[in-house]
Amino acid sequence: MSDALEPTAAPTAAESPAGATVAAPAPLVIPVLELRHVNAAYGPFRALFDVSLTVGEGETVALLGRNGAGKTTVARVASGLVEPTAGEVMVDGNDFTKARAHRYAKAGVVHVPEGRAVFSDFTVEENLTLAFSRTHDRSGVRDALSRAFDLFPPIAQRRRQIAGTLSGGEQRMLAMARVLVETPRLLIADELSLGLAPIVTDDVYAVLARIREAGTSLLIVEQHMSHALALCDRAILLDHGAITWQGPSAEAADTLAATLFDTGGE
Amino acid sequence: MTASVLAAGVLEETIRAFFQGLPIGAGFALVAMSFVLTYKTSGVFNLAFGAQAFISAATYYELHVRRDWSIWLAVLVAVVLVAPVLGLLLERLIFRHVHAASAVAKLVISLGLLVALPELFKLIVDYNREQPFGAVGIIPDGTTVYRLFGRYPVTRDEIAAFVIVVAASLALAALFRYTRLGLRIRAVVQSPRMTELNGVNADWVSSGSWMLSSFFAGLAGVLLVPTTSSLGTVLEPTGFFPIVISALAAAALGRLVSLPAALLGGLALGVVTTQMRTHVPRDNVILAELQGPALPYVMLFAIIVFWPAIRRQVAGADPLLGVSPPPPALAATSRSRGMTIYTRVMALAFFTAVGIWTFGYANNFWISRITHSVIFSIIFLSIVVFTGLGGQIALCQVTFAAIGAFGAMQFAQRWDVSVIVGMLAGAAIAAAVGAVLSIPVMRLGGIWLAIATLAFALFFHDVLVKYDWVGGSLFHGRGVPRPEFFGVDFSSRENFLILCIAVLVLVGVLVILIRESSTGMALRALRGSETAAESIGVISWRSRVIVFSVSAGIAAIGGGLLAMEEKLVGYESNYDPQTGLFWLVIVVVLGARTVEGGIQAGVAFVIFPELVLDRWLGLHGAWRYVLFGFAAISFARHPEGLLEHGKRRSQAMMQRMFARRQPAMAAATTGPAVPTAADPEGEP
Amino acid sequence: MSLLVADGITKRFAGITALDDVHVAVEEGERVGLIGPNGAGKTTLFNCLLGLLRPDAGSVSFDGQDITGLPVYRRARLGIGRTFQRVELFSGSSVRDHLLFAHRIRSGTGALWKDLIGLGLPKSAEIERCDALLESLGLGGMGDEPIEALSLGQSRLVEVARALMTQPRVVLLDEPSSGLDRAETNALADTLARIQSEQGFGMLLVEHDVELVASFTERTYVLDFGKLITHGPTPDVMRDDQVRAAYLGDFVAGTS
Repeated sequence: MSDALEPTAAPTAAESPAGATVAAPAPLVIPVLELRHVNAAYGPFRALFDVSLTVGEGETVALLGRNGAGKTTVARVASGLVEPTAGEVMVDGNDFTKARAHRYAKAGVVHVPEGRAVFSDFTVEENLTLAFSRTHDRSGVRDALSRAFDLFPPIAQRRRQIAGTLSGGEQRMLAMARVLVETPRLLIADELSLGLAPIVTDDVYAVLARIREAGTSLLIVEQHMSHALALCDRAILLDHGAITWQGPSAEAADTLAATLFDTGGE
Repeated sequence: MTASVLAAGVLEETIRAFFQGLPIGAGFALVAMSFVLTYKTSGVFNLAFGAQAFISAATYYELHVRRDWSIWLAVLVAVVLVAPVLGLLLERLIFRHVHAASAVAKLVISLGLLVALPELFKLIVDYNREQPFGAVGIIPDGTTVYRLFGRYPVTRDEIAAFVIVVAASLALAALFRYTRLGLRIRAVVQSPRMTELNGVNADWVSSGSWMLSSFFAGLAGVLLVPTTSSLGTVLEPTGFFPIVISALAAAALGRLVSLPAALLGGLALGVVTTQMRTHVPRDNVILAELQGPALPYVMLFAIIVFWPAIRRQVAGADPLLGVSPPPPALAATSRSRGMTIYTRVMALAFFTAVGIWTFGYANNFWISRITHSVIFSIIFLSIVVFTGLGGQIALCQVTFAAIGAFGAMQFAQRWDVSVIVGMLAGAAIAAAVGAVLSIPVMRLGGIWLAIATLAFALFFHDVLVKYDWVGGSLFHGRGVPRPEFFGVDFSSRENFLILCIAVLVLVGVLVILIRESSTGMALRALRGSETAAESIGVISWRSRVIVFSVSAGIAAIGGGLLAMEEKLVGYESNYDPQTGLFWLVIVVVLGARTVEGGIQAGVAFVIFPELVLDRWLGLHGAWRYVLFGFAAISFARHPEGLLEHGKRRSQAMMQRMFARRQPAMAAATTGPAVPTAADPEGEP
Repeated sequence: MSLLVADGITKRFAGITALDDVHVAVEEGERVGLIGPNGAGKTTLFNCLLGLLRPDAGSVSFDGQDITGLPVYRRARLGIGRTFQRVELFSGSSVRDHLLFAHRIRSGTGALWKDLIGLGLPKSAEIERCDALLESLGLGGMGDEPIEALSLGQSRLVEVARALMTQPRVVLLDEPSSGLDRAETNALADTLARIQSEQGFGMLLVEHDVELVASFTERTYVLDFGKLITHGPTPDVMRDDQVRAAYLGDFVAGTS
């Protein structure tokens, strides 16, 4: 268990020429994120069974399924919050299976968790400063702050307010602002629309569409699927911790409705 | 006219006491802030701060007083170098690896360190404890007296202490408010995982906050060297207990999580201390005690019981709390039937051999050692009952043992009653005290219970023992006769040993009966899952109060027997609270879950320093504190105890050997195992 | 009069209304479902029924008695049993121990003096009773297994058995299907249905798995945004457009 805390050195493809000569030739396009036969568990509570998926460069993938199907766990594995009990996680072709969450973040894989994923005792500004100060100096942080407030004007007026007192929608915007000022390699967004008024959801998805144009890959976890399907190229359907279907978004709606409400031919 | 003069006098005294209280409170505040800092960032309630403060203070003393280093160099080494490095080592080598453990398991580890660190330091530095220690502050000519506003006397040391604490607090506030590290520490406090998602290595931040808090503890240690002399302490680790307790009280005011509350609480308690000394009349005995050593303990106990904030359960602010599985329960898996038979056979063989040797060949010295082992086994069964079965930590077993011993003594001396009756009366008193003591704090459970019982143990030690009706009078001495009843005289060594063995067997059977019956079932349910236990109707605090009371009675019986064996109540050598901490540590290290574990601990406690350390290895007896103290680290991973763990492994090995002949058996043991997060066989 | 009634329950957390005037009732011997999307307030309602949370407004009553202010263990002793979403078993105890503990606590023979003279040890009649229940739940012969050796599905059944040993009149099941695959879920549902028809206790099933609720329950309540959006016989509820919209969003509800 303690070994898991040690950051493992992740050899890049370029650094291991010896391996490259023996192993099968690497695929031409290395996906940003790849899960290979991942199992995951919370203590004795098993959540994922043999899940394999990829998110390619610039690709947008929707992860769909009912509550408790394991979508959130996939998102957590993909950002290093939960270490798989079996299988591998690759980021840009490097083995990140044992890496901790901060290394994923440094590699450009950012995760907006579901719910009120902000530091609720911090002010709005402190929340953002924490995120920006890793890569920016003092003046850089100031610039990044002003860009964040341009992106989400409603929270600009509340910059000195304690984040815990913001409305649900504002907290979501704050969580998004944290990651959207830079364009990350991959954005994992978990249940963005949860508890948001429809008009706010539209705003949030508009921002997502914008950063997709900027080249960021997206992995969108959604229970309310209409927005997600409109945005994404591809959909993956999870049920009871396993992938049951994947394919183009256009075909996802019918499959999903069938899975959720058909009672198995009764 | 006279009234106004009097009033002016009172006012002047009040102000004077206020200025005297601030520096004392400043020391409390420093330690209190250390507590809060580590508790918030790593969930460790680090009682070892007492040891860390001691190490810095002793380093300073060693360098400055004994080796004549300059003050500033000595302070630099003791506080700026030694203290943070010690904090870093503790975090890196120990606490980082147990971050998933429960708060109680972490508390046990810190107790082990509290026992081990000062002894290790003394062994390494060859610390000369005999040499009288003059209070030397970190300011030249610290005892120079100034008069504030021309009238209120304060020493230079006191001014320095206060100024340094205020400066340190301001610096800390600035660090939190304006620096990146401060922001990150505050972030980790709220949610380590959210912090990681921001690309920050939460472990590094944790290390930073441990260094910081250790620095504070070290600073407090050095600053308090001169001021503690007024609290009647010398430079021994126990000397820091009253300060640690006061600091705990200050930290408790802010529910252990608020730094400003810890600072203000510390200062306020310092002022309260001096105000009590000034204003409370001395003619009443109880009130007089409150001006002196009793105050910190009474304050802490009162705060735990009455301060409403402690009762308020704070919902976890961490939005990602659900990511980690809940910490493993302190209980280990129960033994298999094969294991039970295996151990019983081994134990029978062992005890037969020891019995034959003892009664046939052993000299007086060894008979006395073996009697001690039996008696300590009885005492340690009280820890088995409460910690092993109940899954909770209490630190006042030693006090209950003392009550049993004093009970036997008082009844024999005052009313000429049989010591056995006196011992049983002592046990009844201990059980009653246990019940009364635990009712208000048992609902809080966990670390609060541990702290409250520690406060009680220290209160007994520093206050109650001094009363004639408890600790006996100088005139009568503390002699205790060996018993004689039903015409049998137990005064010979052999006969008394037989009596002790009989009591051990009786208590052991009672413990097993409790474990296997309704009370034990409720406790096992609670230990496994408190939520689930309540969902089937278990009233958690009631079951625990009952068993705490039983455990107090058992400890008192053991304490009474110990006094009879030694023919006096050797309070200072056997029953001081520091010893009590070591009792708990040795029992949980060796095995708190079974009767057998308690007996092993009893034997190890008596025989180990004598036989293994001294005769075989030629080491100083103090190494036992170091060895068992550090071994307490294993508690997080092997709550069943190291010996129990070893026995299980050896039994599993034997089973595998047999399994070659019986493949079906192997299939049953390896079974449909559920994948778990932690590897049970791994070492930290 | 219904057995377990929650009337006008309102609960707020830091300004957010998690439950708004919710009314739920469970009769003796009835199987009732409670569904709703993530964050709809199901867990909050569940905790109000159990006594883990106290509602800001409204009342909970059991068999005509107001239990709004009672702690968890008092409700358990009145006859409200429960299971947990994340299995909460007593680590270090065998399967049979779980049932034995529950029986002992319910029958209230736990005096300390009896324990001390050996009257508190498990009796053969008690053990037989436990084993009979295990048998009927399909866990026959597993009484001595440590719970660490069980699969999640079996662990859920042990939770049910433990709850049943307290002789409950209503059992609240918190997402029994989570962590199970489809086949395991179906097996669990079959066993639950059989034991419930034998013993006749009421059941409230809080579930994500709409399929399980559809096949298992007679009546269903649907929560969304803390409000009860509909309730009635389960087949009717499953056909309700509002329910589909709550789960799928307007996009799908409009097209199907």
